[in-house]
Amino acid sequence: MSICAQTGFTGDFRTFPGTFATSSSFSKLVNEQESTDRDIELLRQIAAGDRASFAEFYDRHSTLMFSVACRILNNTSEAEDVLQEAFVQIWEKAAIFNPELGQASSWAAILVRNKAIDRIRTSKRRTRLAEEAGAEQDAAANVEDTANETIYGREKAKLVQSAIVELPVEQRQAIELAFFSGLTQDEISKKLNQPLGTIKARIRRGLLKLRDQLEGIL
Amino acid sequence: MIDERMEEQAALHVSGALNEAEAREFEKKLLADPELQAYVSRLSLATGALAGTAPMVEPPPRLRAKILAQVEPPQKVLTLPEQKPGLLSWLPWAFAAGIAVLCFVFIAENNQLRNTAGRQAKQIDDLNQLAQRLQAATDTLNQTVLALQATNRLANLRIAMLNSLVPDAPKAVAVSLWDSQKQDGVFVAQNLKALPADRDYELWVIDENKPVASGVFHVGESGTIRIDFKPSQLIKVASVFAVTEEVKGGVASPTLKNMVLASK
Repeated sequence: MSICAQTGFTGDFRTFPGTFATSSSFSKLVNEQESTDRDIELLRQIAAGDRASFAEFYDRHSTLMFSVACRILNNTSEAEDVLQEAFVQIWEKAAIFNPELGQASSWAAILVRNKAIDRIRTSKRRTRLAEEAGAEQDAAANVEDTANETIYGREKAKLVQSAIVELPVEQRQAIELAFFSGLTQDEISKKLNQPLGTIKARIRRGLLKLRDQLEGIL
Repeated sequence: MIDERMEEQAALHVSGALNEAEAREFEKKLLADPELQAYVSRLSLATGALAGTAPMVEPPPRLRAKILAQVEPPQKVLTLPEQKPGLLSWLPWAFAAGIAVLCFVFIAENNQLRNTAGRQAKQIDDLNQLAQRLQAATDTLNQTVLALQATNRLANLRIAMLNSLVPDAPKAVAVSLWDSQKQDGVFVAQNLKALPADRDYELWVIDENKPVASGVFHVGESGTIRIDFKPSQLIKVASVFAVTEEVKGGVASPTLKNMVLASK
């Protein structure tokens, strides 16, 4: 089994949350809006069968999508398969993307996440992966080079990471078991030995808190 | 209004914690409820960012080409039977090439003709518009000319009042309307004395002190006459109009002592 190997920047070029945020905030806002608009335009062109736009969309989002697939599957070969399936689906179904319902990057990330979860569900590896995910909780919180950097840039990605790490552990754990391990609410309840209502409440409160924090950041 | 239970369902949905049946049921509700859609959309900001917390891993470079090749429209590969080389084997290719060249030429000519036709149609439109503008200008000019002609005609006209010079017909009066351009005029007289049959009145136009015979007329008991007259010679300046009583048929030079009417 080939394990996904993390890549990214190293310490010398690292900046920290807040650095340069004031001096360049306006240009960043403009750049982010341009980036969003570009994604929408690319998906429109892809829906019309434009391969060049598809290639550009791949260049912009394949790292994020591959990282998500690796995070869920923890297997390079399977992550490649899933990435391939996800991009074929983007090629075929770009027309169904609705920019009113979220960013293209989120759409692509959720798409690959669902494909990866489908794969582990069919391969019956869910329990083992869930255990692995549980064991990685603390390690995940310390990840410095996240795939969010490819979307939001290094500074904002760190703010996003901080917002997630700051969630109460029990909330973050329930959300990550659902999102990255593909466990249902019942399965999470059993795994954590907590009442179903508690798990539901943790996931809801955790996501709302995260959403509120992110709306202030992004 | 989304209640707490529905908020919970939405959170479970976006985080992927619903089982298949629960997810289907929620998606039905989602399709029918725009407010719920907006709520889920806001929550997806959180799950999008959550997805991106995965450690960054670059996909292998070869995967790009593999995926791009997969979405490439399939190309048909035609397998032709092997043919022996020879002059005849080239004939179909030569024919096809000839047809292709002809098609190219026809397409090029067709495009050229379309372009030319387009340009000419535009030129015709432009010319039509120019013609309309010119017609409008011509109409205006015609009206101006007519107005100027009317003005000019009035300028060429001279109206003269002739008063009586004889005591036996003191109320005799006449008006002469003279058009110097046309060299003719209209003469109207009233209250003239009736003349015997062997006598006539003769109208004179005085051109720079030179009387020019301009017509002979006879007046009956009514004393009224209207004649169109044309002098026997070219009149340069019609300075005075006069009427004399003369022998029947008129004379070459006026008899001044018999002058009946004259203008000032």
